[in-house]
Amino acid sequence: MTALIVIVVLAILIIGWVIMTYNRLVALRTQVANGWAQIDVQLKRRYDLIPNLVESVKGYMGHEQDTLRQVIEARNKAVAANPGSAGPGTAPATGATAATIAAESALTASLGKMFALAESYPDLKANQSVQQLMEELSSTENKIGFARQYYNDTATSFNTAVQSFPGNLIANKFGFQNAELWRVSEAERAAVEVAPKVSLR
Amino acid sequence: MKGPWDQAEAPRESPPAPAAPEAPHVPVTEARVNGTDFVAAQRSNRAKTWMLILALIVIGFLLGYVLGWAVEAWGTDANRFHLFALSQAGLFGGFLLAFIGVISAGVTLTFGDKVVLSMNGAREVTAEQEPKLHNVVEEMAIAAGLPKPRVYIMESEALNAFATGLSPQKSAIAVTRGLLNTLNREQLQGVVAHEMGHVLNLDTRYMVAVGIMVGLIALVSDVVLRSFRFGSYGTGSSRRSRSDGDSKGGGGAAIIVFVIMIVFLILAPIAAQLVRFAVSRQREYLADATSVQLTRNPVGLIGALEKLGAGETKGPEIGNRATQHLFIVNPLKNFGENASALFATHPSIQERIQRLQNLGRV
Repeated sequence: MTALIVIVVLAILIIGWVIMTYNRLVALRTQVANGWAQIDVQLKRRYDLIPNLVESVKGYMGHEQDTLRQVIEARNKAVAANPGSAGPGTAPATGATAATIAAESALTASLGKMFALAESYPDLKANQSVQQLMEELSSTENKIGFARQYYNDTATSFNTAVQSFPGNLIANKFGFQNAELWRVSEAERAAVEVAPKVSLR
Repeated sequence: MKGPWDQAEAPRESPPAPAAPEAPHVPVTEARVNGTDFVAAQRSNRAKTWMLILALIVIGFLLGYVLGWAVEAWGTDANRFHLFALSQAGLFGGFLLAFIGVISAGVTLTFGDKVVLSMNGAREVTAEQEPKLHNVVEEMAIAAGLPKPRVYIMESEALNAFATGLSPQKSAIAVTRGLLNTLNREQLQGVVAHEMGHVLNLDTRYMVAVGIMVGLIALVSDVVLRSFRFGSYGTGSSRRSRSDGDSKGGGGAAIIVFVIMIVFLILAPIAAQLVRFAVSRQREYLADATSVQLTRNPVGLIGALEKLGAGETKGPEIGNRATQHLFIVNPLKNFGENASALFATHPSIQERIQRLQNLGRV
C-alpha cells in the first residue's frame, strides 16, 4: 500500500516537472522569436529612413553625390539581400544570410562615411529636419544593436536550458533545437574598423 | 554593421577601462550584487509588495487600537478603567485604520503610478516634442525586451530621474529638464537604463506601494501627534491634574497609556521608514548593475552619476519625503551630512561609482 502511494506521488512529481520544463522551454523559445522579430523591425525602419535622409541632404552636399549614390546603392542591395522575417531557426550567420550581413555591413560603412562628411557642412547641421532624420537614423542603428544584444541574450539562455541536464531530455523529446547566435562576421569587423578612421577627419 | 555613432556593441569585445586607473582599488565592503537576476528580483519584489501591504495594515491596526485605547482611557472614569482589558474604542480605531489601509492599498495598486507622477509634477511628452529622449527610452526598452514606457518630463533645473508603473508592461520614466540638457547621449542612456532596470526588476510597483502606504501612516500619526500637542495645552493638562487628584491609580494608568501612545506614535513612522531605507539602497545597486547589463557600457552611467553628484544642490528641490526613494539620486537637499547612513535612501554616489568601476574590472 505504502509502495503504491510512493509510486503515485513520484509519478505526479515527474509529470509535473515535465510539464514545467516544457512550458519554460516554450516561453524561452517565444522570447527568442520575439527578439528576432525586433531586429527585423529595426532593419526595415532603417531601409525606410535612408531614402528620406538622402533626399533632404542632397541639396546641401553638392560635392558628395558619389557618397550619396553609394549609400542608396548599399541600401538597395541590403533590401534585396534581406530574406524577410525568416525566424530564429534559420541561421543568420551561415550560408544564404552571409550575403545579408555583408550587405548590411556595406550599408553601415557608407552611412558612416556620409555622417562624417555631413560634419563639414554647417548649413546641414543647422537644418532642423536633417538633424531630426540623423537622430532617427543613428537611434535606429542603436536599436538594431540592442535588439541583437537582446536576441543573443535570450538565445543564450534558451540554449543553456536546451542543453543542460536533465532539461535536455525534454528538449530532445519535443524537438527543441539550439537557436543560432547573431555573430559578428569578418566583413562586419572590417566595417567597424574602417568607420572610425573616416570620422577622424 | 556598427558605425561610429553606435555605442551598443563595441564595449562588449573590449570592456572599456574605468577612468583613473592610478586610483587605489578600494574593495567594496558591503555585499556585492551577484549578477542581475531579474526573475529572482521580480519574485522577491512581488512577495515584498504583499508583505509590505500586510505589515502596514497590521501597523495601521495597532496604531488605531492604541489611539482608541488612549481616547477611552482619557474619557473613562479612573475607577472603572482597566489597563489590560480589551478596549472597545481601541478595536474600533484599529479596524478603522486597517480598513483605511485596505482601501488605500487598493487605490495604490490601481492609480498609484499616476499619483506619483502628478505628485512630482511630471508631464507626458510626445515623440515629436522630445525625439531624443523618446529614442533613448525606446532603445533601452528594446535592450530589456519590454514594451516602451511612457515618457515624462519634470520642468526643473535639478538633475534627477525616476521610473514608476504597476507592471513592466505599463510603466513610465520621468526625467528633469536639467538632466536632459546637461547629460550627453551616452550618459542619458545610462540613466534611462538604470530606470529601465527598476521597471524590469518590478521595483517600480513596490516603490509606489511603499511611497503611498508609508506616506499614509506617517500622515496619520503626524496629524494625531500634532492635535495631541494642541490638546495638552488646553483641556488635556487640566483634566489630567484633576484625575490625578481623584484617584492615584487611575491617573497612573492614564499616564502609562499616554507614554505608550507617544512612543508608539513616534516609533511607527520611524520603523516604517527604516524598512523602506534598508531595501531601497540594495535596489539602487541592482538597478545600476542592470543598467550596465542593458547598455554594456559602464562609462555612460559613471559619467552621469558624476554630473548628478556635482549638480546635487543645483536648482530647486523636487520630490518630497514620500517620493524621494523613487529617484536615481536623492532629490532632497541637506540630507546627506546630518543623517546617518542607516537613514539614507540612496547609497552615496561615490560608492555607486566605485561599484560600477569594479564591474568594469571584472
